Amino acid sequence: MKPIDRRSFLKNSLLGAAAVSVAAQPVARSAPATASSGSPGIIDTNVNLFDWPFRKLKYRDTKALVAKLKKHRIIEAWAGSFEALLLKDMNGVNTRLAAECREHGPGFLVPFGSVNLAWPDWEEDVRRCHEVHKMPGLRIYPGYQPFDLDHPAMESLVKMTAERGLILQVVFGMEDPRVHHPIINVGPVTFAPLLNAVVSTQNAKVELVHFAAPIRGEDLAQLMTKTNAVLDISRVEGNGGIGRMIGSITGLPSARVPVERIVFGSHAPYFPVETAILKLIESPLDAQQLHAIMQGNARRLLPRA
Amino acid sequence: MSPREFFINPADYGLPTRDELVGYRIWDNHFHGFASTNPIEQYERNNFFVERMGIERSIAQEVGGTLEKPLAPYAFDAEILKILERDKDRLSGRTPIDPAYPEESCAKIEKWIRDGPCIGIKYWLSTEKGITCSHPNNDPIMRLAAELQVHVYVHTWLKVGGTPRLPGGDNGESESTPMDLAKLAQRFPQVSLICGHSGGDWELGVRAIRPHKNVLLEFSGSDPHSGMVEYAIRELGVDRLVWGGHGPSRSYATELGKVLDADISKSDRMKIFGGNLRRICAPIFRKKGLKIEL
Repeated sequence: MKPIDRRSFLKNSLLGAAAVSVAAQPVARSAPATASSGSPGIIDTNVNLFDWPFRKLKYRDTKALVAKLKKHRIIEAWAGSFEALLLKDMNGVNTRLAAECREHGPGFLVPFGSVNLAWPDWEEDVRRCHEVHKMPGLRIYPGYQPFDLDHPAMESLVKMTAERGLILQVVFGMEDPRVHHPIINVGPVTFAPLLNAVVSTQNAKVELVHFAAPIRGEDLAQLMTKTNAVLDISRVEGNGGIGRMIGSITGLPSARVPVERIVFGSHAPYFPVETAILKLIESPLDAQQLHAIMQGNARRLLPRA
Repeated sequence: MSPREFFINPADYGLPTRDELVGYRIWDNHFHGFASTNPIEQYERNNFFVERMGIERSIAQEVGGTLEKPLAPYAFDAEILKILERDKDRLSGRTPIDPAYPEESCAKIEKWIRDGPCIGIKYWLSTEKGITCSHPNNDPIMRLAAELQVHVYVHTWLKVGGTPRLPGGDNGESESTPMDLAKLAQRFPQVSLICGHSGGDWELGVRAIRPHKNVLLEFSGSDPHSGMVEYAIRELGVDRLVWGGHGPSRSYATELGKVLDADISKSDRMKIFGGNLRRICAPIFRKKGLKIEL
């Protein structure tokens, strides 16, 4: 591919959605260190607010986190709550999350409340998240919340969220289990029951969050062929990991996951937001692929914030 | 796509451009390019990412044997040696040893470092139960390292588990903890040691090595945690941190993000990205007549 000059790139970028097909050439071999308003913004589908229970995180303050995300051209962040991991009063968790998003990031922070299937009357929390707090989706944290995806209520949750048009984010991990605080013992999340629940529910909108794809290849293939589920990139590892996943690296096996099924997720503030953006830069991705991962696929899932 | 083609400008996302990454003079202290059943193909393929992310030099962790069988001849040794010579401007190597066999390990150091191309020693696990880096078996190896003025990289971890459940309780039978490394450092303060993987659990690893000024900390091969680099600088000082990429199994993106997350000066970033490693590599580079600009 022949590099184009910067002015041409910006002109193309400013064409908005059309730029995806037009700007199919690289920015340049040595891009200057100045910002441009035409570069696509990023929808971050995986951030959490408030305190991580086991460490004071650098960007635990919501105002500071919002500023940090915006500095890196995040235009919208889907926010869960660290409080949902261990607390029993889920209504309190969700109410505080909604208020925090309104106060510090209206139109930017999109609250994703949580329900805990192990607690009684979780269905009421679904209703309140949707009807009272007007949340567009829910995020569950199996393992930290004391249930696995084979919980008898899992299928009901998938159906209930689908009927309400809610996105269901299923978190597959929060940190490397080798460095867990000794007081907790969170096992791996079982994937197969989720696949069954999603396959049997029409119109389910499911995102696998912080998903390391340790599952059998055929399970992942079924997830891709039989459902519309998407994955975030926060847990993708290895040089060129995204490229390997979508099959954009010459000489390596073809796609395991189509690019339209991948969304951006940083796992901030636990992970540095820089890491996820650098994954986009490290992998050989063209303009169309980048746009899809940075915002297009997430916007398709949630048309408006 | 060529390694230098980008469809977004990193600067627009608050990140260094490739030119700026090159300007940091990044030395990858932890490179697993040859750790594969097909090491040559993997190495050549990974060069795309080395070039793309502006890495100046990679230090391969397994030159001469493998981590699993460090003292046995390896079918790819000759080809790897040719690559080391071909790519000497951007590639160096450490040779792995096994403290269960100190005499054989010293003989290997003589062959691959004194008389060969390697510039450091790599400890992974031992083949014998209980022979961690703090075991007395290590002493002749350390004396030889001191004589040759080479640094020693030690894989360390603190995997939570066991009964009672504690950090390190799930370590392998010969897997060193950062506390093991601290014991070794106390016996050999004249040898530069690198605490690999930040001890596995960086909040505890940093504490373990804190008193021993000859121990540097390397973060690679663990998840990126926001704030970890600033914590290490506060406790150890910026001169004791080195950067590792741990590719290709980990991504340069993961490892670069750890340092770019830190609100530190450019000069401090340069120390972590390569300056500190060059400082401890300089004596052996000069002995071998290799060019090194600090």
